[in-house]
Amino acid sequence: MDINITTRTDDEGKAVVFISGEVDVSTTQKMKAALAELIEGGYGRIIIDMSGVQFLDSTGLGALVGAYKKLRERNGEVELAALPPHIKRLFEITRLDSVFRIHDSVEQAA
Amino acid sequence: METQTCSVVELRIPAKPEFVSVARLGVSAIANMMNFGYDVIDDIKLAVGEACTNAILHALAPGKEEVREIIIRCRLEIDSLTIEVHDSGVGCDFEELPREMDIESLPEAGYGLLLINAIMDEMQCMTSPETGTVVRMVKRARQ
Repeated sequence: MDINITTRTDDEGKAVVFISGEVDVSTTQKMKAALAELIEGGYGRIIIDMSGVQFLDSTGLGALVGAYKKLRERNGEVELAALPPHIKRLFEITRLDSVFRIHDSVEQAA
Repeated sequence: METQTCSVVELRIPAKPEFVSVARLGVSAIANMMNFGYDVIDDIKLAVGEACTNAILHALAPGKEEVREIIIRCRLEIDSLTIEVHDSGVGCDFEELPREMDIESLPEAGYGLLLINAIMDEMQCMTSPETGTVVRMVKRARQ
């Protein structure tokens, strides 16, 4: 089992990251590394397209929180887009929907 | 007179991250067999995954490098599915979320057992150096 991550960037410091597959304790590190690379690369706005995420667990939530905090230290922001209903519910249960800016789609986030 | 019976299914996996998805699939097959709805099966999959992850994260803690096994025991009854996740480690990371979700206090870990508690009908976590850790979860069948 693996996750697939593709990234699209622009010249204005924005990155859109598309993640697909199952994000759990065995695959979270890959997502963490991809986000860390963008943050270190100076991108101030990272939009994560979650439409392809079939499964997300607490380790995935923790990795997203970690990236959010790290980018906020640099006055940037991690935003989420296109959350499937069963994934969005996890953010509601943990009240992380009050922390992350969540968009219905990547287009809406742009 | 009808006698209530139950079946027990036991799955043993190595305490390694790549086997958590195996546990999820195994238990989701049991839940499907019990005619739980798709949304409930998703909840059960997540709960089992979280309990296994809790075991693995403690197995990977410094000073605890021996390979351990996780035992997932499922008890299928007419009106409920009870799942116990056993491991020889010690620790249940179950913390209350901070009242205010401000950036500084936002935790990067500890959401696992909180999720189980929210999506399952019952959850207990028992841990001791002598017996290890057991996370017990129940999902009741709806009429």
